[in-house]
Amino acid sequence: MAEAKSTGAARPAGVAWTALLVQALLPIALILLLLGFALVESRVLSAGNLLNLLVQASYLAIFASAQMMVIITRGFDLSLGTCVSAVSVVSALAMTGSLAAGGEATGLAIAAGMLFGLGMGALIGLFNGFAVAWLRVNPFVATLGSLNICLGIATMASDGRPVFNVPREFSALVYNGSVMGVPMPVVLAVLLLAVLHFVLNHTVFGRALFLIGGNPTAAAVAGLPSRRYLTLAYVLCSLIAAVGALMLTGRTGSGEPNLGGNLTLESIAAAVIGGVSLRGGIGGVPSVILGALFVTVLSNGMNLTRIDGNVQMIVLGSVIILAVFLDRFRAVAR
Amino acid sequence: MLLEMRGISKAFPGVQALDRVDFDLRAGEVHVLFGENGAGKSTLINIIAGTFAPDAGSFEFNGEPMRGLTPHRARVIGISPVFQEFSLVAEMTVEENLFLGREIAKAGVLNRGAMRERAARTIADLGFALEPGRKVVELSRAHQQMTEIAKALMGNVRVLILDEPTASLTESETVRLFELIAQLKASGIGIIYVSHRMSEIKQLGDRITVLRDGRLIATLDAAGVSENELVELMTGRKIDLLFPHVDHRPAETLLQVEDLTLADHSVEGVDFHARAGEITGIAGLVGCGKSELIRAVYGLETIIGGTIRVEGQAYGHPSPARSLERGVCYFPSDRVVEGLALGRPIRENVSMAALDLTRFARLRIMQRGSERRIVQGIVDQLGLRPPNIERVVGNLSGGNRQKVMLARGLTRTTRVFLFDEPTVGIDVGAKVEVYELMKQLVDSGAAIVLVSSELPEVLHLANRLYVMHRGRMVAELTGADIAEQRVLACFFQDEKTGQAA
Repeated sequence: MAEAKSTGAARPAGVAWTALLVQALLPIALILLLLGFALVESRVLSAGNLLNLLVQASYLAIFASAQMMVIITRGFDLSLGTCVSAVSVVSALAMTGSLAAGGEATGLAIAAGMLFGLGMGALIGLFNGFAVAWLRVNPFVATLGSLNICLGIATMASDGRPVFNVPREFSALVYNGSVMGVPMPVVLAVLLLAVLHFVLNHTVFGRALFLIGGNPTAAAVAGLPSRRYLTLAYVLCSLIAAVGALMLTGRTGSGEPNLGGNLTLESIAAAVIGGVSLRGGIGGVPSVILGALFVTVLSNGMNLTRIDGNVQMIVLGSVIILAVFLDRFRAVAR
Repeated sequence: MLLEMRGISKAFPGVQALDRVDFDLRAGEVHVLFGENGAGKSTLINIIAGTFAPDAGSFEFNGEPMRGLTPHRARVIGISPVFQEFSLVAEMTVEENLFLGREIAKAGVLNRGAMRERAARTIADLGFALEPGRKVVELSRAHQQMTEIAKALMGNVRVLILDEPTASLTESETVRLFELIAQLKASGIGIIYVSHRMSEIKQLGDRITVLRDGRLIATLDAAGVSENELVELMTGRKIDLLFPHVDHRPAETLLQVEDLTLADHSVEGVDFHARAGEITGIAGLVGCGKSELIRAVYGLETIIGGTIRVEGQAYGHPSPARSLERGVCYFPSDRVVEGLALGRPIRENVSMAALDLTRFARLRIMQRGSERRIVQGIVDQLGLRPPNIERVVGNLSGGNRQKVMLARGLTRTTRVFLFDEPTVGIDVGAKVEVYELMKQLVDSGAAIVLVSSELPEVLHLANRLYVMHRGRMVAELTGADIAEQRVLACFFQDEKTGQAA
């Protein structure tokens, strides 16, 4: 008994030390990465590029936080990228359509675009959530299916071509604008992430997500309405992705059927690198921000140092696998 | 000496499963491993079978040191385990399972004829009533157990490990198994027999090794050791000190179950009731339906017939959330699978069944300060050490994990506590604390239903003891009738009538 106690007492100190190291690992890696690129290409640290990094990371942080909502519940959303495309096309069509029908009322058109875009997102999330929570389809299969569905919708609705003539006021609102000198995308991302942080840490729903991801059976035995919360997690995931899609649509000024591109992979990468565990039950907004910054710095640095795009894909893929591998040590450290 | 182990240690996160244990096995003997759940028996046999590597210590088989042993390698050199969890493929036939991983084949093509013949011969040698062509999924648990034993005896066996092999066997099958063990002994095979059934140990064992909390307590010759001595060695204390004296003051009936039948027929036409101020015990063999019964009351099984009343009110279609609202709480036997979110802190695990209460959340917003205060209070009351509620549950020992789960029952007004095997896998000290908690709950007027496969537990704690057998309630014992012999007689009664019919 005395023996067991002494090992028990020695443990926490060791754990705290490793945990601290794991916590500090990513910020250190981030700074080293930034400095490393700066050595090769001094423009990396220019004010203009740093601001650009911040804007890019804002978009990615939004998509990664969407992904995080479902990764916490032991799921993930492969349809995120094509959902972004579908939302972009649908919202652009809603704006141009209502402009063509109603003439000059730009404000109304923008409202219609947002409404349709967010509605599309909610619908996709509801579909994913229903398949995963109620039909008990594996999230991989369910979201792989809706990946294709969204791709079909985006291509069909747009005939595979960009939807032009999105009102300039919309871009001014979500892209070009700024609040006290801070670019609009950053402002929007900060607001959204602050709300999410509150939801995760201070609401019953957020708590339930962690518990469901930590042990779904135990959550059910403890009387939590797991299926309802799980559905809601997928709805929220797609809704957040839709917000990001609207912001990207404002940036390009058109509805793009290929807007989603690599977003699924990048959002999962940012979340996992930041420390959201694929085994569920672990994650948070700070993790997602760090992960998004890391991925953004990595690809921005590779762009500026003129590393071939194909090589970049290989690097990103490898980094994801490395992050999942390191996550196992994090579990041991816990 | 067939097997020689010295100073074997093995730790898992949060527990020292084995601490410098010595163990040896001679050819032609039955060496019984005896101890409570969580004593380290299964860790030890898993090391011998190559499932885990020991952290420290020497392990020799036939005088050769075993390093980097794998389950496959162990089988090849003649170490054959039969675990409680079967290693059979349900959708394959008995015969295919016997040859799993060592199929007889020529140039990659299976030789079915040869396999069929060998399988038939092995089964006939063992004297088991097994049909080689039946799919495993269609067999009873007892027949699956026989298949598992037959599988273990295929090929060259030097050491046979039997982990509670009689848990699901009938009396006549048990007799047959014991004859078989005698035969195997005579042919020079060393047998490691894990059990906590006193009668078997006395009947079969040549030597007995007692483990407690991962330590070797004693290795003794089976001849000349008394049952009381064994229990004392196992528990580390006199049996009457282990169980607190509970003052039962039965009052109104809080839970009334009538004619309950479940969809999977694990429970059929069962009546029982539990009253405030007493512990109601339910005993029975593994798989008798006792656990399913209380799970159904809580809302975890599908009910197809019967009625449940809680505090006199009819309670149809139970669900966990509604049971909790009505003051009925269930503590699952498998804490890792059904009880706890291991990666989350103690605080969240304790409050998780009470998030509907305003003390914990108002308008769906967590009241984190109030949560911390309440959980800290309960954790202090239960004597969780260390009392840091932000610790991740996965790092706690079995006893502390159990306390975290039990704490959940104290977060809300609960009048009916359903305990499902509450002391599985926890050490003796923690057991005593669990019993003390039950005593306190009963004193404060709660109704406790205690389902347990540990006979001493129900015998000592229950005021009324139900006995279940094959999904039915076969006895309700009170007062002096609550005795080991009476309960055991109930376990086997319809087997005798069944055989006569």
